[in-house]
Amino acid sequence: MGWWPFSSSPKQDSPPTRTERQICWDSRDAYYACLDGVGVIRAGTEAPSACKAERKAYEGSCAQSWVKYFNERRRIAFAQKDMIAQANAQNAAATGKTTQ
Amino acid sequence: MFGRRALQTCRRPRILLSRPPAAYRRPYSTGDTRNAVGVFTPKSAALFIVTGLGLLWYFRHEKAKLIEQQEQERASKSYGRPMVGGPFSLQTHKGGIYTEKDLLGKWSLVYFGFTNCPDICPAELDKMGLFLDAAQKKHGNVFNPVFVSVDPARDSPARIAVYLKDFHPGFTGLVGTYQEVKAMCKAYRVYFSTPPNTKPEDDYLVDHSIFVYLMDPKGQFVEAFGQAVSVEDMLVKVEDAIKEFR
Repeated sequence: MGWWPFSSSPKQDSPPTRTERQICWDSRDAYYACLDGVGVIRAGTEAPSACKAERKAYEGSCAQSWVKYFNERRRIAFAQKDMIAQANAQNAAATGKTTQ
Repeated sequence: MFGRRALQTCRRPRILLSRPPAAYRRPYSTGDTRNAVGVFTPKSAALFIVTGLGLLWYFRHEKAKLIEQQEQERASKSYGRPMVGGPFSLQTHKGGIYTEKDLLGKWSLVYFGFTNCPDICPAELDKMGLFLDAAQKKHGNVFNPVFVSVDPARDSPARIAVYLKDFHPGFTGLVGTYQEVKAMCKAYRVYFSTPPNTKPEDDYLVDHSIFVYLMDPKGQFVEAFGQAVSVEDMLVKVEDAIKEFR
């Protein structure tokens, strides 16, 4: 990968540019959209055949530390959504009981 | 049992209350009755009352003014000025020396981040750029955007120079030795943490607090804008600060 300075050269002379960031984010979004399609939350736990091309593009265009960070954030976001949904359900149940 | 003497000593000692000699009597107790009030003439009484009322009015007025002033101060500032900022000395992305004195004279926006930041730093720097474009149109060229790297192991001035090309042209990038950066972060109450045992050539992220600090032209802290603060909110806050600044 010639254009990605991190994976090619050990000395990180140039920081990621706006274009490189955008390419990384776009490939990430494509991969996550694919994961959503197959109903997988944790990146890497999908079937080896699923989202293969998207995953390759994602891991190829984002630094490994970014991949780790984005995947972790995705997991936390879903966990939070889950928690909020649970809390809402509990609240609904509780208010339902009190109004009865 | 109790003799007369004993009873007598129990009694309150008698005080000799003889009339004082005429020379010691006060003037109004002497002379004719027409001058019974002495110096307390109707004229002086009126003067006394007027002065009293005047003083009363004055103090009430002053107190009301003070309360009003305090209310105004409370409205403009819901809390005291936190001790954020202080002396520092870092290198600019062009290779010069930059200290807290270089923040004086303009409204500085200070952001702490690092060039390998995945998405939050670039988003915040873009937000600052949008703010600067709008704010400069309104207030003129009175702003000084500063980017301080919290990744001194990897972010050289040259690297920061390349990084800043993607953002507002007004930015000054700063970095120094680990100790120098750490000292500035401490003064600005900024937390940052590099994973342990990392080498400069490693691929890692630096965890850090995300705030844009607004410093007034005297170099004093005014406000910290978090990630959730929009460009519009920043514009309003800065306009208030500029109005209030003397």
